[in-house]
Amino acid sequence: MTDAIALRGVGRTFPGKRPVAALDGIDLTVRAGEFVTLFGPSGSGKSTLLRIIAGLERADAGAVEVLGGTPREAARRKDIGWVPQNAALLPWSRVRANAGLSALVNRRADRAPHPQRVPQDVDGMLAEVGLADFADVRPGQLSGGMQQRAALARVFVQGAPLLLMDEPFSALDEITRSAVRLQLLDLWERHRKTVVFVTHSAEEAALLSDRVIVLSPRPGRIAAEIAVPIPRPRADGAADSDEVRAVEREITAALRAGASG
Amino acid sequence: MSARRLALAIGAPAALLVLLGLLWSWTAAANPSVLPPLGALPAEFAARPDFYLRNLGHTLGSALSGFGIGVGAALALAIAVVHAPVLRSAVLPVALLLNVTPVVAIAPALVVAFGFTQAPNIVVAALTAFFPMLINALAGFQNVDRGSLEVFDSMAASRTDVFLRLRLPGSLRYLFAGARLSASAAMIGAIVSEFTGSTRGLGATIVTATTYLNLPQMWVAILVSALVSLTLLGIIGLVERIVVRW
Repeated sequence: MTDAIALRGVGRTFPGKRPVAALDGIDLTVRAGEFVTLFGPSGSGKSTLLRIIAGLERADAGAVEVLGGTPREAARRKDIGWVPQNAALLPWSRVRANAGLSALVNRRADRAPHPQRVPQDVDGMLAEVGLADFADVRPGQLSGGMQQRAALARVFVQGAPLLLMDEPFSALDEITRSAVRLQLLDLWERHRKTVVFVTHSAEEAALLSDRVIVLSPRPGRIAAEIAVPIPRPRADGAADSDEVRAVEREITAALRAGASG
Repeated sequence: MSARRLALAIGAPAALLVLLGLLWSWTAAANPSVLPPLGALPAEFAARPDFYLRNLGHTLGSALSGFGIGVGAALALAIAVVHAPVLRSAVLPVALLLNVTPVVAIAPALVVAFGFTQAPNIVVAALTAFFPMLINALAGFQNVDRGSLEVFDSMAASRTDVFLRLRLPGSLRYLFAGARLSASAAMIGAIVSEFTGSTRGLGATIVTATTYLNLPQMWVAILVSALVSLTLLGIIGLVERIVVRW
């Protein structure tokens, strides 16, 4: 399989009176169709790294290649689907319009869409995330979990081959969170995108990923790479299995080793 | 709205108005040179309604023209500042200077410049309407949800997309708040500017009435201007309720 993302020696320092080195010497390759999680404590630069991959921020050292070009080139083709921390739905637009947002902006990219990007039908996707009956309401009438489902629908409608998710479930309560997590697993197992997912929940990392990248803080460096051997599909409740717990323990141990070393 | 709440919503202001009316009548009876008898006001208006409506028309014309110009300029400037932040440091001090310069001081200078026309009234109304809208529009356009901005950015949305689909709808509450402030400011600006060098308008009516100690005329002019301002606010509120539905 080809590489969706290739990072070589990526670094980022935030300037100021006392410059803060957020990332240093990150080498990372993500294969097409892989689900990779960036895991680490606050200050490990995982969100910064994700933003660099998305082209929302620039690296000041190293080389960043996304889908065979620069991140901005991929963004201009709408080949990057971004899921921010909050659902970021437009409160004035109904759920259907929110889910179909990608068709309303940067229309230039739709004239000759990249063969890798396959936009999905809005109503079909809303049905997939269980929001078929809520297409005509405004986001303010949805619960937090439903809003996050609508945000997932939005990014899957866009059809981008690469999805970048920045702690998308961190604002949800634990019960809602595990439900939306399974929803994401289900969608991913059916649509098979390349995903880079940021979280600071070891359980989430173990449950979702093919591979977990553990980052150590200040400056953010890769402390460990952990392959997750749990067989798929996992959307049907593998969360309780001992395998997940074992991976979770491995991730936490790597985090501790990274923080002390 | 429950019956109890409705009764409270109507009853409380009504009770206060009755109380103010009593206070007015009591003051007018005790000291006739301060306030005219309350009953004299409707009689004064009924005696020559066309006089008041003509002057109201003049003031309202100045206020609405000034509102349009001031609000239009403020929106244009706010849009420019949002897209070229370097403008911000140039624009804001000048706008602030305009805002702190007393209108009463500008009005005579404008009469010298424009003569005894409606132009000074419109300019003053525009100047007073400008600042509240500018501040609210700037705050509104910059009050963007960070996550939404990231989503737009990640799809390389154009500035026009970001403005029309994100900043503008997201700022509507601010814009309507600004419009309310600007509308009352424009009304005040128009009236105050008519105090000097104008023979027409509610402001001129008030000044003339003061000169001749015509208390009923003065108070009818004041109350008419207050009622009209209130109506303008009501209209803006109505439009807001139709437009902002989330």
